[in-house]
This record gives sequence, structure tokens and C-alpha cells, in this order.
Amino acid sequence: MLKKYFKPWRFIMPGLILGLITLGVPIYQALKNSFYDIRLYRLGSEFFVGFDNYINLWNDSIFLLAVRVTLIFTIGCTILSIFFGLSVASVLSSDKIRGSLVARFFMAFFIVPFVATQVVTGVMGRLFIWDAEFGLINYLLNTIGLQAQAWLTSPNLALPAAIITNSWRLTPLALLVLYAALATIPETLIESAKIDGANEIMIFLKIKLPMIKYHIIFVSMILMTSAFREFDVIYSLTGRGPRRATNVLSLMVYEQGVSVADMGYANAIAFTMFLIVAVVTVIFIKIFKLGDVGVS
Amino acid sequence: MKLIIKKLKKHYDYLIKLLLLSIWLVICITPILILFMASISDTAIFQTIPDLFSLEGTTLVNYRISINQGNFFFHLRNSLIIAGSALALVLVVCTPMAYGITKLSSRKAKSAVVFGVLSTRFIPYVVIAMPLYLLFRQMGLSGSLPGVIMAHLAMQMPFIVWLMVGFFDGIPGEVEEAAIIDGCTPFQIFFKVSLPMVLPGLNAAAILAFIMSYNEFLFGLFLAGPNTRPLTVGIMRFVGGVEVGAQYGVVAAYGSMIVVPIIIFALIVNRYIVSGMTQGAVKE
Repeated sequence: MLKKYFKPWRFIMPGLILGLITLGVPIYQALKNSFYDIRLYRLGSEFFVGFDNYINLWNDSIFLLAVRVTLIFTIGCTILSIFFGLSVASVLSSDKIRGSLVARFFMAFFIVPFVATQVVTGVMGRLFIWDAEFGLINYLLNTIGLQAQAWLTSPNLALPAAIITNSWRLTPLALLVLYAALATIPETLIESAKIDGANEIMIFLKIKLPMIKYHIIFVSMILMTSAFREFDVIYSLTGRGPRRATNVLSLMVYEQGVSVADMGYANAIAFTMFLIVAVVTVIFIKIFKLGDVGVS
Repeated sequence: MKLIIKKLKKHYDYLIKLLLLSIWLVICITPILILFMASISDTAIFQTIPDLFSLEGTTLVNYRISINQGNFFFHLRNSLIIAGSALALVLVVCTPMAYGITKLSSRKAKSAVVFGVLSTRFIPYVVIAMPLYLLFRQMGLSGSLPGVIMAHLAMQMPFIVWLMVGFFDGIPGEVEEAAIIDGCTPFQIFFKVSLPMVLPGLNAAAILAFIMSYNEFLFGLFLAGPNTRPLTVGIMRFVGGVEVGAQYGVVAAYGSMIVVPIIIFALIVNRYIVSGMTQGAVKE
């Protein structure tokens, strides 16, 4: 009776209309533009080219490199963020610390990288962390007797530097979610495992990890889609990088659209990115049966 | 004897854990600290760690340049207008929308809405920015405020809806059923019963969406013009290419003025951010 009574569409309509305008229009435009040849310098004389823009993608070595870079960047950021997030969350959720004032104190500061403005993170990384002469990383390397590196100007090191910088930013998300998950595991379960003679590592692998399995998958999906679309951090840290080493798809769309002024091609890349995310979303929904949420 | 060793070991464990957490804390805040110390130093460059903390050569000249040449307050005003107006509109429209979604009875409609919200929540921002850039240029409105705000609405909407659906789902059905029996209309129930119950959640959603918009750079770069550029675009004029020199001190001051207030704000409303971020990622 509850649901019939509410006539839910009356609540949904205004939002749905705003959503169709703000999200539907750009997505539709991206698809439509991708079938046209549109040059910024002669607007008004665009013509239909069918799938030409998409066909050209597969012969474009810059695009294929960008796909590779985006893939490495996305997977790298996800793995690093999960690894550090899970490690810190495990310590934070251990008995005597979890839920305490100490935990709350640390957690307050642990979210700082996540709320810090992305472009500031990027320029901070470029000028003060990864800089070859004055950067913190090279200072630390020198201190422990290792060779300084030209991080951002070396084609092999620019991408790892970008991945680490973005992971610094994303780790709080993984940390927070996994901490919340780990903190719900009842203490008695762990106590009884200890009595049965299990050590910390066994408890982690055999009890804790399976119990937070879904949280790990869930947060991985969010981290992946976040890293996949990242623009701000990379643009301000390395730009497209030495020999396009950090030229992810988002940056390529910007370059093709604004600098090369080939709007049709830029929109084709953008729409391809949207399709990838849509597929990931479907997988996401299938795994979690998210269509069933909201049974109140 | 065995007991003492065991006790020592217990405390030892605890201390090691505190040490590990402190190391992570240092990793989290050191970059920001370096940025801030650089902003008040006349050289803005550090050769050693003690160098970093020395207050010799403290100056505010970088801040003066940021504010005068960098038009800091003008860009701040733009940032606040964009983030504020987008957020206000999204809250008014999306809070009822999220409520309606939790009241949908058809499973098909529900999964369609969930797909719509999620696929757009994770949408690459270039997919929004690129077509809008062209559209507003074709209409002769490039660089205008509506374009930037529209993009920010597109970014905030799915996020707020997703978060609020989660919070509204937490309301026990009995409460609303009791209100129906008392003769409340659906809108009365929404405003007088359900909304007050999710107020902390609404705060969390609004705070996170505001931070998201304040920090946003891509839309500003694509869609803003000389009169609408936010802070994140404003700082970029002092950052040269990797090869070209940047104005280290000014960038540090400008960056500090952008990032320190938002971090202090985040520390104050920490409770809401933690609950919002957790809720945003977890189904239950």
C-alpha cells in the first residue's frame, strides 16, 4: 500500500527532466557529433561521414597508445589504492584502535588527499614532489643513496609518477570503505579463530578477506571508473607527457577537440569512453543485482 | 615472566600500529605542508628537510601577486557562484527524485533508473564537456555561466541521487505507514517525516557535491570564459609547461589559498564526509 499511495513519478519527474537536459543532451550530442566532420574553424559547414571517425580510430597510433596508457593508468591506480587502502584499513580496524578516538583522529587526516583540489595536487606534484632538482622524491632518494631521476620528463617514469600521484588522491576512498567493512566483522569471530590457533595472516586471508570481498569489488569499480576519466591531475602534473607517455583518453579528447579542432573525432573518442563506462556499469549492476535496492 | 612478555608484546603491537598510522598520516599531509611552506618562503625551493621548516625569508609577496595579478578573489567568486547555484538546484530537484525512486514498485522501472543514475555517475567528464563546448559555441554563448553550471549539474545530479536513495532506503517503512494512517499526504510525509530523518545524509551529500564542484577543473577549462573562470583555472596561468619555468612561489601561494580552506572545511565537517563517502560506495 505504501508504494501505490506515493505516486512516485510525481517526485521523480522534475529530476528526470533536469537529468535529460543536463546529461541526456550532451550524451546525445556526443553520439550525433561523432558521425559528422566538424571543424571548429569552419562551424556551420559540417557534413555527415557515418562511421568514418570510428574507423579512423583503429588506424590512429596516437589513439591506440592513449588506450594503452589509460588502461595502465586505470589498473595501476586501482591496484595501488586498494593495496594501501586495505593495508591502512586493516591497521585502523584492529582491536583497541577501531572506533576509538585515535581512529577518528587519524581518519580525519586520512581523507585530506581526497578533498584536496585535483589541479593543486597536480601542480604540487609537478613542482615540489617529482621535480628533478627540487622535488621531495629525489631528495629522499639522494638521502638513502639512490640515484635521482628525471621523473616527469622521462618517458618511462612519467606514467608511474602520475599513477602514484593519482593513487595518493584515491586511496582515502578505498581506505574509508574497507575500514567501514572491516569494522563490522564481529570481534568474537576473530577471537574464536585465535583460540583455534590461527595467526594474524591466516585470519586476514581466511576470515576477513572473504567477508569484505564484495566491498573490495565495489570500491574497485568506483576507483576504476574514477581513474579512467581522470583529467585534472594528469593535465596539471605532466600534461600529455614526454612522448605522450601520460596522454590518457580524456587528454586526447581535449587535444583533438580544442587544439586540433576536429570536433567529430574528439566526440567519437568521448562517446567510445562513455560506451566503455556503460558496459562496466552493466557488469556492476549484474554482480550486485542493484536493480533490487530500495526494498523498504 | 611469561605474562610480562605477553603484556609487553601487547603494548608493542599497539605502538607499532600507531607508528604505521602516523607514517601514513605524514604521507597524507606532507605534500600540502610543503606547498604551504613554499608559499611563505622567498625562494620557494627547499634543498633539505630542515630548510623546509626554517622561517628565514618569510614573505607574503606570493600572496600579494596571487591576489593582485592572479585575480584570486574574482576567481573565488566565480567558483562559489558555480558550485553554489548548481548545488542549490540539484538539491531541490534531486532529493524528491531520490525519494520517489525508493518508492517505485515496478522492478523494471527501478533497474532502468539505477542504470541511468550509475552510468551517468561514472560518466567520463569529457563526454559532458566536449559536446557542450561545441553546443554553446554554436549558439554563440561560449564562456557563459549557464554552460559551466549545466556541466556541474550533470556532474552532481547522479551523485546526489545515488547517495540520497541510500539514505532514504534506511527509513523504516512503519514510520511512513503510521503517517499515512494519520492522514498525511505524500508531500507532507516527504517534508515532515522522511526529509528530517535523512537530514544528516542530506548534509553529507551536499558537502561532498560542493567540494566536488569547488575542486572541478575540466569544465572550467572547456566551458568557462574570461568572466566565469573558476579558481582551478585561475591558478594555471602561473604554471608553465614542464620545460618552461613556473612561478613556484606564486603557484604555491595560489594553491594554498585554494586548498587550505577546503581542507579545514573538510576537517570540520569530517563526520559528514566520512558518512557520505562510505554511503556512496556501499550498497547497504
